[in-house]
Amino acid sequence: MSPSPVGRRRTPRDELAEATAHGGLYLRRLVRAQLALSLLALVAFAGILGSLPLLLFLAPALRHISVLGLPLPVFLVAFPLFPLFVGLGLIYQRRADALDEAFRDLVGR
Amino acid sequence: MIALLAVSVVTLGTLGLGTWAFRFARTTSDLFVASRAITPWWNAAAVSGEYLSAASFLGIAGLAMKLGMDAIWLSVGFTAGYLTLLLFVAAPLRRFGSFTISDFVEARLGSPRMRLLAATIVLGIAGFYLVPQLKGAGITLGEVTGAPYWVGVVVVGAIVAVNVGLGGMRGITYVQAVQFWIKTFAIALPACLLLIYLGGLPHRSALFGADVPRAPAAGLTVKLQSPKTVTFPRATGYRIGPVERHARAGQKVTLPSGKLVLPPGAAVPLGSGVERGPGVVWARPVGHNGRDGPLFVYSLLIATVLGTMGLPHILVRFYTNPDGPAARRTTVRVLGLLGIFYLFPTVYGLLGRVLAPGLYVTGQTDSVVLRLPHLAWPGVPGNLLSALTAAGAFAAFLSTASGLLVSIAGTLSYDVWGRVRHGAVGTHGRRLRFRFCAVAGIVAPVLIALAAGNLDIGVLVGWAFALAASSFCPMFLLGIWWPRLSARGAASGMIAGAAVASGGIFGGLVAGENVGGAPGALLSQPAVVSVPIAFITMIVVSLLDSADPVDAEPMMLALHAPEGLGLEELEQEPAAPAGAAREPAPA
Repeated sequence: MSPSPVGRRRTPRDELAEATAHGGLYLRRLVRAQLALSLLALVAFAGILGSLPLLLFLAPALRHISVLGLPLPVFLVAFPLFPLFVGLGLIYQRRADALDEAFRDLVGR
Repeated sequence: MIALLAVSVVTLGTLGLGTWAFRFARTTSDLFVASRAITPWWNAAAVSGEYLSAASFLGIAGLAMKLGMDAIWLSVGFTAGYLTLLLFVAAPLRRFGSFTISDFVEARLGSPRMRLLAATIVLGIAGFYLVPQLKGAGITLGEVTGAPYWVGVVVVGAIVAVNVGLGGMRGITYVQAVQFWIKTFAIALPACLLLIYLGGLPHRSALFGADVPRAPAAGLTVKLQSPKTVTFPRATGYRIGPVERHARAGQKVTLPSGKLVLPPGAAVPLGSGVERGPGVVWARPVGHNGRDGPLFVYSLLIATVLGTMGLPHILVRFYTNPDGPAARRTTVRVLGLLGIFYLFPTVYGLLGRVLAPGLYVTGQTDSVVLRLPHLAWPGVPGNLLSALTAAGAFAAFLSTASGLLVSIAGTLSYDVWGRVRHGAVGTHGRRLRFRFCAVAGIVAPVLIALAAGNLDIGVLVGWAFALAASSFCPMFLLGIWWPRLSARGAASGMIAGAAVASGGIFGGLVAGENVGGAPGALLSQPAVVSVPIAFITMIVVSLLDSADPVDAEPMMLALHAPEGLGLEELEQEPAAPAGAAREPAPA
């Protein structure tokens, strides 16, 4: 850990490196933003996955609808959730990387 | 014969490739530095390869056939676990630099004593997870060679121990990645060909309608090795040995060992634990109460969705990602790859109900993936496809069991032995110790597997997930995102969660299937209770903890600061001393 050069304006990165009050602030802000993103994604994920068993429990008549030769309840559990997980994961990955990038822009110059 | 050949090729090929590849990666750091060049796709295939075990390959289909479509929630949960891993754990853990759970616990909480606790839970989870792998091995070898169950368990246990002890197939990304494609090919190709050959799902009324599984047009012969208590769902005549008999609908009969013959079209008698209802009941993904009711489904989903991040053999894999964003990309790809694989166990469960009804009599539905192809498609094609699924099953439990045993042996030799007996040990001593632990670590799981011949693979793995979800999951989530988590809080929460989860599991074992309704559901899958208990205990005890808290600021920096800031040298590298001192494997 090298002290910031004398005579140069202190950058956020120096603050961070020396773990000063500001550095801590920047980092806490990033952690909060990442956590908010993760929780948002979790709400979407848990909302969809969590409501499906309840839906199938409350509406057994759905079995009269047939999709690809399967009753709708079986179809819903067996197929569409997998691509949905990938889609959610992709969106989250993009956003999380973007948050990291923004932090790097703030701190790294 | 073809099947035996296929199994041998997969086994020898894997062991040979692993040993050969290991020569290029002689030290732990070689292993990991070399892996830096590995792309997220390879890494994702390797994670998936290590993850897909006997439970995924044999267990889900077996459980689906036995209990009904509620078992396919396992497929969903096993995949969804990686989404929570992605959201909360993957990138921070990679940045932190710990590559075992014990490393993380010690470094994050600043308490070496926590290591022993983490090690104990790691052993519990890995042990629970190893038992079903060995059970799968016993079944598969039995199907292929006709050998008794215990032979397969002991033989494969020995192969895995020797393999791990000699350093084969460990941490070798490419081998695990290839294993993934072998398994996916081996489960997908027979499923697709069978569906084409049969022209869709046959006898749909036994699947989704009012009918029950029935003997095929040529009649059904089942050899009973031991007396079985079965229930006849419909009135039918049958022959046991030379004796002709008749059963009323709903009659419970104990059949003596011998040959059971059912006339064509007779409703098949069902062994204990099998769903007795007609297709319309069997095909419900959510039942009304008890062990397929909503409470059980939610508990199972919680266990699998939160348990994945606590599996010791999977976590090691994330260290081979070069940085945090790569860990995220890898995890998204894992979601895609697993999503492909988990489409297929359902197909075997559906086809098995109508084409392999003999398994209902013995209750051994775990072998449906192995049996189905040659039952559904008589002649050479069916035999070839059965050989393929047998080879895939072998790939499944070889890779998972090896990964688990590496975790067990590493934990035993480093965390337990190394802590209990201090003193300098050379590389040679460490290697010897690791080998001894690899052999010692397989003994208990083999013994349990021998005793657990009647437990379903899918159920056993469900317990390992429940234990992981109630101990390590809260520790990771709070440890990564909540600076105030204290060592005492984490310890209390892990102990409370693990105690409630294992208490429920053993209580369920003792009480058996006599407990119905909500208590039965909670005993067979306690996660819905034990996970909140673990979280609450951790938070409350941490808040009350008056001891000096660990300075969490550098920890948060190491966990969350993006790469490329030039901060790396000042990151605490908390795992470095432990990681350097430790060789999870003999070099």
